Amino acid sequence: MSTGRSVAALVSLSLIAAACASGSAEIANGPLTLTVGAYTTPREAYREIIPAFVRDWKQQTGQTITFEESYLGSGAQARAIAGGFEADLAALSLEPDLETLVKAGLVAPDWKASALGGGMVTQSIVVIAVRPGNPKNIKNWDDLRRPGIKVLTPNPRTSGGAMWNLSAIYGAALRGATSAPAGDSAAAESLMRGILANVAIMDKGARESILTFESGVGDAAITYENEVLVSRKAGKLMDYVIPPATILIENPIAVVDGYAERHGATKAAQGFVNFLSTPTAQRLYAEHGLRPVHDSVAAEYRSKFPEVPGLFTIRDIGDWPRVTQVLLAPGGVFERASTRTAATK
Amino acid sequence: MSVAAVTRASPIQRVMRGGVFFYVAVLVMLPLVALASSGLSNGLAGVWHAITSPVAADALLLTLWTGALTAVINAVAGTATAWVLVRFRFPGRGLLQALVDLPFAIPTLVTGVMLVLLLGPTRPMGRWFESHGMEILFAPPAIVFALLFITVPFVVRAVEPVLAEMDPAEEEAARTLGASDAAIVRRVILPSLLPAIGVGALQSFARAIAEFGSIVVVSGNIPHKSLTGAIYIFGEVEGGRPDVAAAVSLVLLALSFGLSLGARALRDRVGGRRG
Amino acid sequence: MRPHLLASSPLRARELVEDEPARPRPATLEVDVIPREPMPRLAIEPIDSDPRRRAAWTPARGIVFVAVLLYVGAVLLLPLGALAFEAARLSVAVIVRGITSAAALSALKQTLLLTVVAVVCNGIFGIAAGLVLVRQRFRGIGVLDATIDLVLAVSPVMSGLAFLLLVGRNGWLAPALQALDLRVAFAFPGLVLATLFVTLPFTVREVSYVLAEVGNDEEHVAATLGSSPWRTFFRVTLPNIRRGLTLGLTLTAARALGEFGAVLVIGGAIAGRTDTATTFIYGALEERNDAAAFGLAIVLALVSMGFLITLENVRKKRARS
Repeated sequence: MSTGRSVAALVSLSLIAAACASGSAEIANGPLTLTVGAYTTPREAYREIIPAFVRDWKQQTGQTITFEESYLGSGAQARAIAGGFEADLAALSLEPDLETLVKAGLVAPDWKASALGGGMVTQSIVVIAVRPGNPKNIKNWDDLRRPGIKVLTPNPRTSGGAMWNLSAIYGAALRGATSAPAGDSAAAESLMRGILANVAIMDKGARESILTFESGVGDAAITYENEVLVSRKAGKLMDYVIPPATILIENPIAVVDGYAERHGATKAAQGFVNFLSTPTAQRLYAEHGLRPVHDSVAAEYRSKFPEVPGLFTIRDIGDWPRVTQVLLAPGGVFERASTRTAATK
Repeated sequence: MSVAAVTRASPIQRVMRGGVFFYVAVLVMLPLVALASSGLSNGLAGVWHAITSPVAADALLLTLWTGALTAVINAVAGTATAWVLVRFRFPGRGLLQALVDLPFAIPTLVTGVMLVLLLGPTRPMGRWFESHGMEILFAPPAIVFALLFITVPFVVRAVEPVLAEMDPAEEEAARTLGASDAAIVRRVILPSLLPAIGVGALQSFARAIAEFGSIVVVSGNIPHKSLTGAIYIFGEVEGGRPDVAAAVSLVLLALSFGLSLGARALRDRVGGRRG
Repeated sequence: MRPHLLASSPLRARELVEDEPARPRPATLEVDVIPREPMPRLAIEPIDSDPRRRAAWTPARGIVFVAVLLYVGAVLLLPLGALAFEAARLSVAVIVRGITSAAALSALKQTLLLTVVAVVCNGIFGIAAGLVLVRQRFRGIGVLDATIDLVLAVSPVMSGLAFLLLVGRNGWLAPALQALDLRVAFAFPGLVLATLFVTLPFTVREVSYVLAEVGNDEEHVAATLGSSPWRTFFRVTLPNIRRGLTLGLTLTAARALGEFGAVLVIGGAIAGRTDTATTFIYGALEERNDAAAFGLAIVLALVSMGFLITLENVRKKRARS
């Protein structure tokens, strides 16, 4: 009956392997695993920041930490964490996605107090990536509406970057920096509709979107400034245009207390959040294209990150609740624009 | 012939029966019931609402027509391939046999990657298509290409045994009576093959509408243009609307399962007729 | 004509076999039965034995032949060629470095574990279910048969969603899992569930077909001669279904290796924890890590070729007997 015994052995081995693979150590100050759920863009930055933190933490406390990272579109990541992905840290693209976790009871309502810059750990701006030399001569948001221009932007349901993109267009139009009259909501909507009609591909996340652009598709990609910088650092050829008015992207991070407490990881996770505000980490962010929030580091990198005359924040156009409502609610601008897009194709 | 019909099931048999049922109940029925429950949480009206929303409706239509086109192309190409495999001997025949089974062995994601490597705008073939103004990658043609790859085996494997078992006497008779090749194919061979071709076509249709891994890489996922049903469902899951995803899933599953049942029924007719 | 060869499901195969006139029972009373080769399931080789069925070459037939070769070449060989071309383009050193990174090896390990679990669990299930479907009669057997078939119609994303609705944070089983401090969604057990689901039908079907063909005469003889059920199973049944079992297990392994949509949804592709080979490739493409992505795709393609060779060997051996 050796067959039977081998089978039994194999089954037991599989079960043991499964059990081992799923558990994680929870001894106090013993080795610890921290899990980070992040949006797609800051991959490269965290690849360097995390080892720096691990070294720093080991020096300070003697504890060895291993990291597990997951990168998804910001909205998708927020849903995953709310749906059971036990991340100790949520590094997302925009505030509303973190608020999703607050509503799910996983993040403390006062998360903003826990880091420099009011919970925001990096900044960026929305830019338009174009082919080298800007052959289609794109200067402003209106140019994206021209017939024949193929635009890339991700899907706002899953991607934080897409939300920033749409807010930038909407805000710029409302503030009179485009052909649309200032304060004219309908005209702003019409501009957005026109641009969306030119969208060639709607990827799930900002990273996927810029990769598609790199693969030769599209004339212009609306994206984070840092995505372009990382892409160019990787040797891809592209230029980028900063429109006269664009939005300041502010990226939050928070400890996911709901899970971190269960893993005994709260202290380490908070330590990581604190570390992100230090000049060391902020410099690493800057090296990877993200605008630092730390004042002195920002001064160091002024030449890399140009000033934007028409810069505005989400608070200048009514803050997230209003903008999300206008853009994403059923019957909102995005839905109407997509439907009309279909009708005109 | 069957011993079990005469004796009652032994204890071992009953334990096995219970174990098998339990396994299937926990692993298959339970999750599918959870899916159905979520999908029907807003009742049938909710399901209707979910599948008639503009993006969903276009996605399902795209899924249906690309699947149907795949089935039709397979019906022709698969039959021809089966015929070549059964009626001819040539060097490399074994290789062709193996190739037909390849889609069953290879991961769908790898298929998608291969197609991107083949048709990307920076690749020779991709550049050729683009210079001629043809959109293949990130558009419906790429979807059909991927589906054709994935469904190659179905018609071929359905038709082969029937073709191999066909009595050549009828063909001989027709030939001696002076019928042309084409007429023989049309009047003698095809009628016998049609049910088997139907089985294979229905199976490829069912498989095609469920495909995900290769399509997500090659289609571009543009709403109203190249977004299929399965990818729409994925988007709704990631976008935090699992009930909508579940509702659309139920409809797609019903379609797919319906097609499979159709294939089963046809197959039983083929088997029964020759029994 | 062997109608059960075309059976649409295990139950139907059994019905068709039982409708055939009774085969003569073996006259021999030897207990240690010489394993009989099961009859070929796909009778596609008779042309070798029957020259009448072989087609003569004519221009029209030649055109069809070439057309078929072109179609198969375009649809199947071109993509493979593109992958091979890419493999040649990237240097071996770069590829090896890409696929031996910690993350890649971890992903490969996960896929390997999942494949082993799927083959073992669904292999055992497949044999048991095959025996139940073909040798037993009871109310509800049709439901069992249909449910197994249903699995094949489910799209990968749907099964991932279904399990998420079951074991996710707001799922049906969430309270129980919380109480037991078990992490299933976004953890390895979730991957196991998804993989077991999608690979469920393959071994059952193949084993059922063979069991129906072979019949239970030999088991009957062994039983009357006093062999215990276990002994009968291992000495009589198992050898008889060997080929079908190999076929089924190979298809199971290939499907487990290739699973993507379901594990992506239920697992979240967390590097080092729920990243499988396929989700790793998907993620590597996003990191512009072409070497790792294409390198791992090549590895998976090569393993698939291995499965394919096994499949073809089994088919050929059956056809010959």
